[in-house]
Amino acid sequence: MKLYQRTIRDLHQMLVDREISSVELTDAVLSQIDAVGDTTKAYLLVTRELALRQAQAADERLRANRDVRPLTGIPIALKDVLCVRDVVSTAGSKILRGFTPPYSATVVERLEGEGAVFLGKTNCDEFAMGSSNENSGYWPVRNPWSLDRVPGGSSGGSAAAVASGEAIAALGSDTGGSIRQPAALTGIVGLKPTYGRVSRYGLIAFASSLDQIGPMTRDVVDGALLLQAIAGHDPSDSTSSLRPVPDYLATLTDGVKGMRLGVPKEYFVAGMEPAVEQSIRDAIRLLEQQGASIEEVSLPHSDVALPAYYIIAPAEASSNLARYDGTRYGFQAGGGRNLIEEYMLTRQQGFGAEVKRRIMLGTYALSSGYYDAYYLQAQKVRTLIIEDFKQAFKKVDALLGATSPTAAFELGAKTQDPVAMYLNDIITIPANLGNVCGISVPCGLVDGLPIGLQVIAPGFGEAAALRVAYAFEAATQFHKARSPLMGAAA
Amino acid sequence: MSAIATRYEVVVGLEVHAQILTQSKMFCGCSTDYLTAPPNANTCPVCLGLPGSLPVINRRAVEATIRTALALNCEIPEFSKFDRKNYFYPDLPKGYQISQYDLPLSRNGHLEFDLNGEARRCGITRVHLEEDTGKLLHEGAIHEAQASLVNFNRAGVPLMEIVSEPDLRSADEAREYVMRLRAILQYIGVNHGDMESGQLRCDANVSLRPAGSAGLGTKVEVKNMNSFRAIHRAIEYEVERQTQVLESGGRLAQETRGWNDARGLTVSQRSKEYAEDYRYFPEPDLPPLDVSREWVAQIRAGLPELPAARRERFMTAFSLSPYDAALLTSSKTMAEFFEETVRLGAPAKTAANWILGDFSRLLNIDRKEIDDASIKPRHLQQLISLVDSGAITGKMAKQTFEAMYRAPDPGPALEAARGSTQISGDAELDRIVDQVIAENVKSVADFRAGKEQALKFLIGQGMKISRGRANPQRLDALLREKIQ
Amino acid sequence: MPEPESELSSRQVEHVARLARLGITPEEVTRYRDQLRNILHHIEALNRADTSKVPATAHPLEERNVMREDRREPSLPAEAALRNAPSREDSYFKVKAIQE
Ligand SMILES: [Zn+2]
Repeated sequence: MKLYQRTIRDLHQMLVDREISSVELTDAVLSQIDAVGDTTKAYLLVTRELALRQAQAADERLRANRDVRPLTGIPIALKDVLCVRDVVSTAGSKILRGFTPPYSATVVERLEGEGAVFLGKTNCDEFAMGSSNENSGYWPVRNPWSLDRVPGGSSGGSAAAVASGEAIAALGSDTGGSIRQPAALTGIVGLKPTYGRVSRYGLIAFASSLDQIGPMTRDVVDGALLLQAIAGHDPSDSTSSLRPVPDYLATLTDGVKGMRLGVPKEYFVAGMEPAVEQSIRDAIRLLEQQGASIEEVSLPHSDVALPAYYIIAPAEASSNLARYDGTRYGFQAGGGRNLIEEYMLTRQQGFGAEVKRRIMLGTYALSSGYYDAYYLQAQKVRTLIIEDFKQAFKKVDALLGATSPTAAFELGAKTQDPVAMYLNDIITIPANLGNVCGISVPCGLVDGLPIGLQVIAPGFGEAAALRVAYAFEAATQFHKARSPLMGAAA
Repeated sequence: MSAIATRYEVVVGLEVHAQILTQSKMFCGCSTDYLTAPPNANTCPVCLGLPGSLPVINRRAVEATIRTALALNCEIPEFSKFDRKNYFYPDLPKGYQISQYDLPLSRNGHLEFDLNGEARRCGITRVHLEEDTGKLLHEGAIHEAQASLVNFNRAGVPLMEIVSEPDLRSADEAREYVMRLRAILQYIGVNHGDMESGQLRCDANVSLRPAGSAGLGTKVEVKNMNSFRAIHRAIEYEVERQTQVLESGGRLAQETRGWNDARGLTVSQRSKEYAEDYRYFPEPDLPPLDVSREWVAQIRAGLPELPAARRERFMTAFSLSPYDAALLTSSKTMAEFFEETVRLGAPAKTAANWILGDFSRLLNIDRKEIDDASIKPRHLQQLISLVDSGAITGKMAKQTFEAMYRAPDPGPALEAARGSTQISGDAELDRIVDQVIAENVKSVADFRAGKEQALKFLIGQGMKISRGRANPQRLDALLREKIQ
Repeated sequence: MPEPESELSSRQVEHVARLARLGITPEEVTRYRDQLRNILHHIEALNRADTSKVPATAHPLEERNVMREDRREPSLPAEAALRNAPSREDSYFKVKAIQE
């Protein structure tokens, strides 16, 4: 097996055993980026020199056996919404072209502390707004499983990088499904932690009450390792939780025997591909065979989650994106006769169509006379969705469903119809609004394209979500399937 | 003015912005010392609004706001939160200001003050907490300027907004309200009270309504008033202007007007018809505040004696007039100076006279505060005791005081006065009195004829001969004795 | 609850774009109007939920009173604060005149 095809856990062992060095490993992954990067377009920026410098430092650490951590020497990709000191960070937007933050996100600092190696900044939908990566301000990403298909979004670059061997693991961000959906569509594991589990400091904001950073990995163990490294309270993020972080590996292999797993009937939505539904039903049966008890549950307000999301997220975004005015950083149009005209030109030329659409939608929803009908109503619906989950989790330990109603679709298939695009997130959005956590784990191929099983656990129940996902993974081979671009595992 | 008095009632409400005295900014660790730092030196990702940065609440700013609210007799709700006020302006780095909208830290208070001996009370609608903006520097005059320069050192400095009810009925009342409010803020240590540098800023909502009516007239917001005098002049001007518009049958526009101090008038800035839609919504980056009763009690326990209470105490404990007590307590440092002087042994009335008289006169000329002066309470107390013991005359004391005030160290001037004590030897006084009688035959005769006034003249002559070193009481006694 | 206007007008789109400081061409006004109408039409589903007795959730977490002590931390070096500025003069950010 090629080095770039392996998992964090494998590679960690090899590094510790001095079978390989981090520089060798990093070289191998950089070579794979050279080989397929122009095909996937997964990266916006490859930080080759930084990576090699970090790899050398990691090797010294390994050689000295000084504070060797599970991620020491492991090459990781960072979604471009994460600020990295002195490295161009644009959130996939032209309006931040060339922006070089003077500071790093807390998660980036934590990974640096672990001795991880940063490969570069992965492409994404502009400001993480999208489900296909076609809203990138630079170029679309292609799915390593089928190059005429999207990798999902918005963390499509991170997903494609992991699925093509251009990274061992990656960080993504998930506001309405942006980690889980691309993970499902590229055959990898993606975990959206509970809001507050991971610091958002240095994450270029889309919707502040929903955004979470999470791991995108080859398997569940790697997901647990990466989450372990980034989770926990951060004094710089007032919304990060003070709850202690459990040892995710400790309970990972406990199995599902005796667990109660719920199947929300509302998650089998209209428009779901029959083959997807079949795979999910098979997965549920498999977990039942593993000793879990399965019961149907109801999340009655699932149908209003999508409309609530499409008020709350754009409203917060309209405010979060007000700072991009071309005066302190980023793109400045020039040519305006006065400041207000300059603002309008800069934002007209700097933002892409979807971002502008959402800014307008959010501005409208917050504007005088509409606030109560839209924003306030959406926040009340959010309460109902939180309540739905609370009721369900009184009966069961975790919920099961599809991650995405379909496998990856073709580029351009939904770009003309925003609403059709929004429907991609219909079964990932409730977890963001409901303040719970969710993981997508590969559960099959439909016409050669991967699909994902979503496991949703209560707020701060990441250990339970990982445990169920691991039990499923351990009983199946789906996660071992490799995209054609990554190459056969043999 | 008669038209105003009879036909219209003046209605004024004030919005006072007070920067809170903290070490660090409202939501980040940058220094609040924006007046002396080089441009943009006190900035960080948070107060520059860099992508990805997040705010963290400064506890001291919250407590200072509650402290202020308690001093203004406000209710402190048990739940409060921050909101975003969205608008675009180059001094506002995030495109929104973190402020408080529907659930401020406090509401429903009042401030009592005196105007010409009459008690007044102005309602306080709310005291809320927000962040200050950066500062713009215009290249050239604002209207011709091609560009502005932006300095974000002030961006994020904690700011309280104290909103009054429209309870003020004249420019005099408005000025008095702000003076009282300023004294309270200084007393409780939350603000320096400097209006010129913008640490304390005031906007006024001014309207007129027909006398006897309860409704509100068209409201004009007046900005840019940088001193008590400016507040007074601007409101007087605005009342006059609005009266003239109404008298001539015109209609007032609801608008914002800026006070131009040099020209002594208000100028329309923008019409409120195109009022910004601020799209307030709860700040998602900041969890709300549960303000427990224990917390409030703790803050209340830390409140010092407030001006009104201190004034009452000065009147009862020191038998001061209401007027003197009010003046002395209008500034915390002055009240403390007074109390310390008395504690050291000076008679209260004498100490008050010195502080409100010569001392205040000199301070006013120099635009200084009492704690900027080199004279400390012990100096004043010693000077007073020199006078009281008859060692120096009142006139000498005045000269000495001024000399002490001018010197970086008042000690030597005080010692000099002590050394050149009054003429107390009877022989020397005898000689002086004899000389006065010999040289002023007519006045001596007048006094003998019953003109008391003549004796005053003779005493004055004695003082002159002694170069002020004689004790006037003793001259008085000796002259009477020798003439009669 | 007031009924949200079902049909968004072009004037409203222009107003919203101005509030958001987004330059917008006449063609875009029409396009965004139609797209936003369609999205808002789907969002009307919000009204299906009975929220008459439901409080709003603005903050998903149970955390309260998250505060820092009033301590100074180092600011950015002046060059780091200004290095991304598209226009600057000395140590200031430079912007076009504000006049409207
Ligand atoms: Zn700062």
